[in-house]
Amino acid sequence: MLSRNNIIRKGTLVFYALFILGFPLAGLFNAFSTSIGLTGPLATGLTGRYWQQLPTEASLLFSLGFSLYVAIISVGLAVVIALALVLKRQSMLKLTPFPTLLYVPLLFPSLVVAFYLFQLLSGSGWLSRITHTIGLTSTPDNFPAMIQDRIGLGIILAQVVLAFPFFTLLFQSLYDDVRLDDLRNLTRTLGATESQFHRRVAVPILLQRAAPTLVLYGVAVLGAYDIPLLLGRTYPQMLSVFITTRLQRFDLAELPTGYLIGFLSTVVLMAIIFWATKLTQRHAI
Amino acid sequence: MRSNPTLTSLLIVVFGLPFVLLGLLALGQYWRFPDILPPTYSFDVLARLLSVDGELGIGLLLSLFIATTVSILSTGLGFVIARAVALSKHPARWITLSYLPYALPPVLLAVLIQPYFIRLHLSGSIAGVIVALLLITIPFCTLFFRSFWGQQAIQYEQLSRTLGCSQRQAFLHVLLPLARPLLITCLFQSFLLAWFDFGLTNYLSVGKVRTLTVQVYLFVGEANSRLAAVAALLLLLPAALLLWLNKKAIVRQI
Repeated sequence: MLSRNNIIRKGTLVFYALFILGFPLAGLFNAFSTSIGLTGPLATGLTGRYWQQLPTEASLLFSLGFSLYVAIISVGLAVVIALALVLKRQSMLKLTPFPTLLYVPLLFPSLVVAFYLFQLLSGSGWLSRITHTIGLTSTPDNFPAMIQDRIGLGIILAQVVLAFPFFTLLFQSLYDDVRLDDLRNLTRTLGATESQFHRRVAVPILLQRAAPTLVLYGVAVLGAYDIPLLLGRTYPQMLSVFITTRLQRFDLAELPTGYLIGFLSTVVLMAIIFWATKLTQRHAI
Repeated sequence: MRSNPTLTSLLIVVFGLPFVLLGLLALGQYWRFPDILPPTYSFDVLARLLSVDGELGIGLLLSLFIATTVSILSTGLGFVIARAVALSKHPARWITLSYLPYALPPVLLAVLIQPYFIRLHLSGSIAGVIVALLLITIPFCTLFFRSFWGQQAIQYEQLSRTLGCSQRQAFLHVLLPLARPLLITCLFQSFLLAWFDFGLTNYLSVGKVRTLTVQVYLFVGEANSRLAAVAALLLLLPAALLLWLNKKAIVRQI
């Protein structure tokens, strides 16, 4: 017979599972059934029409490609900056004000970062005013497009500004954990150069240890909403903005395809997270 | 490996410039292209903040109410759920489950759950926003307390029970004091999660629950950069205050 404590504990777990699993799974089920015409305001009965039309959705493919490109470039750049700081400016990072300074961007909501970069980099922004005053540009239009631009420069910059301090702190803690200073001395004693130590020892160790966190961060950038909403263009849009825009249109006929895209994105992202959490458990940081 | 004054200055500018620019935008008046600095400054936005019908003041109170409620509820529930997870037969499975809400960008989660929120009359309401934020913060707190409910905490609990404590006494007088620093840190972090959210709140509230983040977006849309800057600075305030009070309390686990 179960004791009262066991009943409470099991009840807690059932509540947790229903709450955490229930809503998203019910949402996924609803999205799937809408995509096959079984639910939704325009449900017409079972149909594979929306699934068959999906490969012809060029805007979706562009949106997916654009999101992947932004995620890879921003995480890649942030990793390079963070690695350079940790490996080449180790002593600087331990001096005031860096131990505190690096935490500052972590306190910025992404929407605020987007707004700040909008005010800094737009045609009539602060940098454009400075270049106008010193005679480099004559009108706001002369200033190079750095936000709402074709290649997503503003979005990438915002993501890098948010990510590189976080990655620096991450690599710094790993650097101390795996005692890379001792390994550096050992490799130098064995005749390796500083560059060889970085390329063959430090970078592989840091990247391997940080891999799960980097993947999770990449997924977060892939699904970013606030920053591309303010700094992105109407075409191509990043995935989250693309899906929400599609579902908020007045044309109800767009709903099944919108939900189908949402369903597929969710399933793919869940698979990546599942794989990343397996990695996390293997390389528990 | 030397310190580099140029690099140091560059990083200080990168991290400090947002505060300067947002401050100038908030206080500057009639600041038009191509002026580098505003021609005049005024604190009149503070009066708008304090006025009874001021949107900013209401947004601030609303954000404070939602973030405080969410952080208290999720920290308490996360603490209890983490214990149940630690004592379960398959803790690893529950941990994997706890990562589920992070498999989805918040706005995508909002897209999926919105039909149910409409049916439950939660869409466009403060209660709906709180429930939605709990979907993200409770698993976060559960994962956060995973390290606390190791062998030692369970043994302390068993020892206190052996010495005659009731379950309630063991919880109140042994476990809670033991977990106090973690509880405070978790409270801060879950507060910030709720405080910073935009996508979930904006989508599920259909523009009706105007928290500070939603207001920043709306003011930007109205090209009212002055009020957007004030709202943005208000958003930074608690986070900066927490950093000033205790850096480790904010970023404990990386």
